[in-house]
Amino acid sequence: MASVKDLRDQIRSLKNTQQITKAMKQVAAAKIRRAETAQKQARPYADTLGEMLRELVAAVSRVDHPFMNPGKTSAPSGMILMTADKGLCGAFNANVIRQGEAFLREHPGAVMYSVGVKARQAVRRFGGGDHPSWPLNAASKLEAAREVARTASAAFVEGKISEIVLVSSKMLSMLVQRPQTLRLVPIARDGMADATVNQGPKAMVEFAPTPEAVLSQLLPKYLEFTIFSAMLETDAAFFAAQLVAMNNATDNAGKLIDEYTIQMNNARQAAITKELLEIVGGAEALNG
Amino acid sequence: MSTFALKLIAPTRVLFDGQASLVIAATTEGEEGILAGHAPFVGALKPGVLRAEVSDEMGSRRLELATDEGFIQALPDRVTVLLERALSLEEIDLEATRAELAAATEPAAIAFAEAKLRLARSA
Repeated sequence: MASVKDLRDQIRSLKNTQQITKAMKQVAAAKIRRAETAQKQARPYADTLGEMLRELVAAVSRVDHPFMNPGKTSAPSGMILMTADKGLCGAFNANVIRQGEAFLREHPGAVMYSVGVKARQAVRRFGGGDHPSWPLNAASKLEAAREVARTASAAFVEGKISEIVLVSSKMLSMLVQRPQTLRLVPIARDGMADATVNQGPKAMVEFAPTPEAVLSQLLPKYLEFTIFSAMLETDAAFFAAQLVAMNNATDNAGKLIDEYTIQMNNARQAAITKELLEIVGGAEALNG
Repeated sequence: MSTFALKLIAPTRVLFDGQASLVIAATTEGEEGILAGHAPFVGALKPGVLRAEVSDEMGSRRLELATDEGFIQALPDRVTVLLERALSLEEIDLEATRAELAAATEPAAIAFAEAKLRLARSA
């Protein structure tokens, strides 16, 4: 059985850990709010962009933009793996990375891009070596998203990759984050056209200069913005995951502290009992 | 003068949400002025100066912004403008913009810097 001193040291160290995890939990809670505000502020732009895109797709009969055409079939896939920069968030990053790994198994030789420090490390592990990579917490997420979109779409247009797939986290609720694999390019036209079927008279829209020209300017922006939204979502989901992880860690530390305290009390009591027995035994011997 | 609902939206914030009687934006086809009751219209914007006669809780005023690329959607009763980047006169740093213009190599970056300077000059 461990000595009273050992147990006391253990408990002290656990209490320190608990303080840290509790502080991190509070920080995560505050940051979620900020991340969610950022997400909310980006929503009007996303909604309007999506609406314009649907209108445009409905208005044009044939688009010559490379994003709407199937990619070169002989080329490998392109995968953007997106995680947070930091850990201490349970299986959050690991889940996304596992999903990325699964995608790689199905699409051997895929060209990899990474957003987030953890994703960069993972891609290196997958044998991606020095690949285009960006941190999630860039000074300007929008600027970073733009660069990601440009790099990947340039490779797509040049025929170096056949599609652009994004593997990132979807935030289902504060407690549940799930990895998702999303094909960004080529853009599936079917889904969009369906959504506009019953809009009828709205199709009488005038486009300047032509729907095709506006569309080809809009598509790259749409890609940029989709990546930007995914970055915001990953950010918010990361803090939600961290909140849960730190909450669990604090609870677990509390449980361990309780357990060790009981053990310590037992050990102390055992020592006292032993001492008493020795004294009594000694006295008995003297009285003989 | 009849008005319409105007929304100016940037990726990270809504720049303006209120009533307007006139919007003038630089589309890729040239300057386009939009009044209430405009026929449905969607266009792409190039870097330039966006002007609007607006009124919201802060009162009636003229809004002027140097804008990067964007898109405009007009319906008879509302106009929505998506702007990649937009700066009001107060937000423009002249020195920085001149340096930016000198360093810029992409046509789009040059055009945006020029738009900012044009707005500063016109004021």
